[in-house]
Amino acid sequence: MKKNYLPAKAFLFLFLLMFIFLPFIPLVLTSFSYNWIWPNAMPESFSLSAWDYVLFDNSSTWQAIGVSLLIAFIVTAVNIILAVPAANAFVRYPLRGKWLFEAIIFAPIVIPPFVAVMGIHLTFLRIGLTETIFGVVLAHISPTLPYVVRAAITSYSTLSVDWENQARMLGAGPFSRFYHVVLPHLMPGIAAGASLSILISLSQYLITFIIGSGQVMTLPILLFPFISGGDPAIASSYSLLFAGMAIVALLILDLALKRYYKKKQAAAAIKGVRE
Amino acid sequence: MLRKIKPYLLLFPAIITIVLLFFGGLFDGFLKSLGYFPAIGETEFSLKAYSSLLQSVAFWDSLIVTIRIAALSAAISAILGAIVAVALFMIQETSKSRALNFWNRLFQLPLTIPHLVGGYVIVLLFMQSGFLSKILAAIGVIDQIPDFPVLVNDSFGWGIILAYAWKEAPFVALMVYPVLARIHKQWRDVSRVYGAKNRDYIREIVVPAILPAWTVAAFIVFVFTFSAFEVPFLLGVTYPSMLPVYSYQLYSSGTLADRPEALAVNLVLALLTVLLGLIAYYFSKRWNVLKGWE
Repeated sequence: MKKNYLPAKAFLFLFLLMFIFLPFIPLVLTSFSYNWIWPNAMPESFSLSAWDYVLFDNSSTWQAIGVSLLIAFIVTAVNIILAVPAANAFVRYPLRGKWLFEAIIFAPIVIPPFVAVMGIHLTFLRIGLTETIFGVVLAHISPTLPYVVRAAITSYSTLSVDWENQARMLGAGPFSRFYHVVLPHLMPGIAAGASLSILISLSQYLITFIIGSGQVMTLPILLFPFISGGDPAIASSYSLLFAGMAIVALLILDLALKRYYKKKQAAAAIKGVRE
Repeated sequence: MLRKIKPYLLLFPAIITIVLLFFGGLFDGFLKSLGYFPAIGETEFSLKAYSSLLQSVAFWDSLIVTIRIAALSAAISAILGAIVAVALFMIQETSKSRALNFWNRLFQLPLTIPHLVGGYVIVLLFMQSGFLSKILAAIGVIDQIPDFPVLVNDSFGWGIILAYAWKEAPFVALMVYPVLARIHKQWRDVSRVYGAKNRDYIREIVVPAILPAWTVAAFIVFVFTFSAFEVPFLLGVTYPSMLPVYSYQLYSSGTLADRPEALAVNLVLALLTVLLGLIAYYFSKRWNVLKGWE
């Protein structure tokens, strides 16, 4: 039985590898290639000129990365502030018309948000919100907020009220109860929601384009002309940079969370020693 | 009194944000699709945009293309996703948890890749002078660039389908895999005691177990593909285009007369996605997809 498992497993392994990595091979090769012509299966010469252009010559690259991250982080911070109390209400209180509130909050997951953005575009134009980072931030909230709320709900539903009551009996006020009891418990869920929020915000193209009108240059706006018929080497470098930016942002968040817990643990240890 | 309204106060900021920014936008778009736009002096309601939309060939062509592409994307990513999930499951049976963790993370890689990048990956792989074509030429299967089929920016939409199949298969796997992982090892032994062969085991136990999650996952991919913009904008053709792209073309065409029509397309799109979303929700509740069994 185990024996005829082996070739099957090798095949599966190969399939998985092909499925994930094969698509990236031409992307990486093209970004380092110089004038790669058909029918050569490998580029005839390698060069760093595309990367050089993307990272150093074109000053708008770093600016675009900055704008993208700025928008993503503001959007995510606003989302967290809105989502945590909402999740609290959903999980811990008897609500009348709960289904209606849920339907409102989760509607942007089903209905494509660009529909709402196109609808509100002219109003934004009239009140001067187009072509501004603030306008784009507002436009990014509805596609991202539902995911943060959902993540916060998941966290809240595993948090027992008893812990807060204990803290209350020990004399903790509402603020310190939230900061020392609730927040540490919610943190992983908030981080998961924040990751999604950042990821979705970073990869928006159409919404940013409509509200930003091409004036708010995020990385996807900058990169689109290249990938729709520009120089393949530059387009590939930009694509890798774009994908890398999202992954790095998530890794940083992951690291920050780990550090937060380490600090908490260290603080608890010190307290333990003092007592 | 305060205790009673407290939960509503907690909910209020999030609700009002979505109501203003999202539903406000939908409503704003709806009014303008009816031709009501006081800022330029239009204060009359009419169904002109909708009636001209329903009579235009371009709209129906676009709708058909959208359904075709979404259905094929969903079907292919469902099949690929199931294979991936089974592959993960079989690897899991024989390897340690750390390796498994690594594989799990690897699998989510296509999920974190932005759609535009995913689309461009497909361009480089499948265009007529792309990577696959170069490889086929190098090993002598094809002699000229035109020998390679047109798979990108083709009127059928294969490029879009390939992009979604690759991007969404991991999503399907992610939905199906937890169900597979819950199938107890003993069930296999029990089935063997009753004389079931491997094939019977898969047909009688594994397939029925994963079917609900699998169907719902495929359906979610369908609804998503139905209303997504970036990939068809990059990989499609100008005519016939998928509905979101069609709406954008109308909206950005420059003539103000097309705008109500673009917004009408959006409203149709919104209604269709709500309908499809409700169907998905109904079945996922009914089949208990997210909770499973004990």
